[in-house]
Amino acid sequence: MDIPSRLKIPPEVMSRHVGEETVLLNLASGTYFGLNLVGARVWQLLSAGESMPTICEIILTEFDVRAESLQNDVIRLLQALLEQGLVVAD
Amino acid sequence: MTNRIETLLGAHLSPCSITMPVRYTELSARPQAAISGNPFHQWVLPNGQLWTLFFRNQNGYLLRFPDLADFEIDLSGTDVIGLPALGIATATVEHLYLNQVLPLALSRQNRLVLHGSAVDIQGMGVAFLGESGRGKSTLAASFATTGKQFLTDDGLQLHWTSDGCRIVPSHPSVRLWADSEAALLTAGTERAPDVKFTSKARILAGRNVAFCNESRPLRRVFFLCSNNVSEVTIESVRPAEAVAEMVKHSFLLDTQARDLLAQHFDHLARLAEHPIFFWIDFPRRYCDLPIVRDAIIRHTTSTQYKTR
Repeated sequence: MDIPSRLKIPPEVMSRHVGEETVLLNLASGTYFGLNLVGARVWQLLSAGESMPTICEIILTEFDVRAESLQNDVIRLLQALLEQGLVVAD
Repeated sequence: MTNRIETLLGAHLSPCSITMPVRYTELSARPQAAISGNPFHQWVLPNGQLWTLFFRNQNGYLLRFPDLADFEIDLSGTDVIGLPALGIATATVEHLYLNQVLPLALSRQNRLVLHGSAVDIQGMGVAFLGESGRGKSTLAASFATTGKQFLTDDGLQLHWTSDGCRIVPSHPSVRLWADSEAALLTAGTERAPDVKFTSKARILAGRNVAFCNESRPLRRVFFLCSNNVSEVTIESVRPAEAVAEMVKHSFLLDTQARDLLAQHFDHLARLAEHPIFFWIDFPRRYCDLPIVRDAIIRHTTSTQYKTR
């Protein structure tokens, strides 16, 4: 699945910070999704309207990860969020 | 109008307990007329049978249990009217009301209501959540027949107070399959009349099945697993997992009311911050229930897991 260059969070999706994770809930479908610390930061940046390249750049400065594996992880996460309707193309 | 039964949930509670009024009125039986428009939601049983259709009407909601009854719930969730289908006894309609409709009406009042049973252990509220058939009612009845008291069999209602989250007692009855009834209860235990749609018996609280009629502080939530284990296992649940599990077991009348859903999500997230959530698994043999009860009591009263 191709990742659109810009993504947005549809109005029917809510997020709450719980413990060290973030839980997403799609009110329309009842789908819920848990994000770990890095995933939660990606979500926060998505919520702020940042593009995928910018998100990767910021995460690289904040977490001890290699650029290549980070990009793969972010792509996988965004694909999953798209499939679950938790983000859509802007 | 017949059978006007005005009930208060918690009318049997002491004055200092938490009460939440739901007025219920049952009208006379009538054919189930066709309803125009499509339901906005529906419940389907695991065998594919259509169980409940959710419609909107001018006053709020209409729930249809095909060939059994309709229930009208007003927008505030405080007034419910039961409309039995022809040939359906009051006992069946009352059973549907208590176990299905009342929790949904309470959810419309922004109450947090989950599919779960609960018991009182030394003044602490202990809840059991899980899918149908995991043993929620059997566990509650097991405690209630061996010196403890049950708070609810299903429709676990939680209420926030300045003192934290409390379990509110619900109707003083437990629904059991015949094998659990035979294993746990003695002869002479009072039961409500049989109902049309299930062979589960509704056992009334009394001398043999003890009921706690006051709210209790919530101290444990056990999610029931079913992995064919040979001994009792208890493991902690991450807060995010707890939210996800509670979402699965929530009573929600209006799944499209965004404000209510947002508040419901807030309730769950707030509750999940407390370290009171655990997975529990145990052998599904009646002879092992004393061991299971003992493990739950020890865990609940253990200082290792004190939450306040």
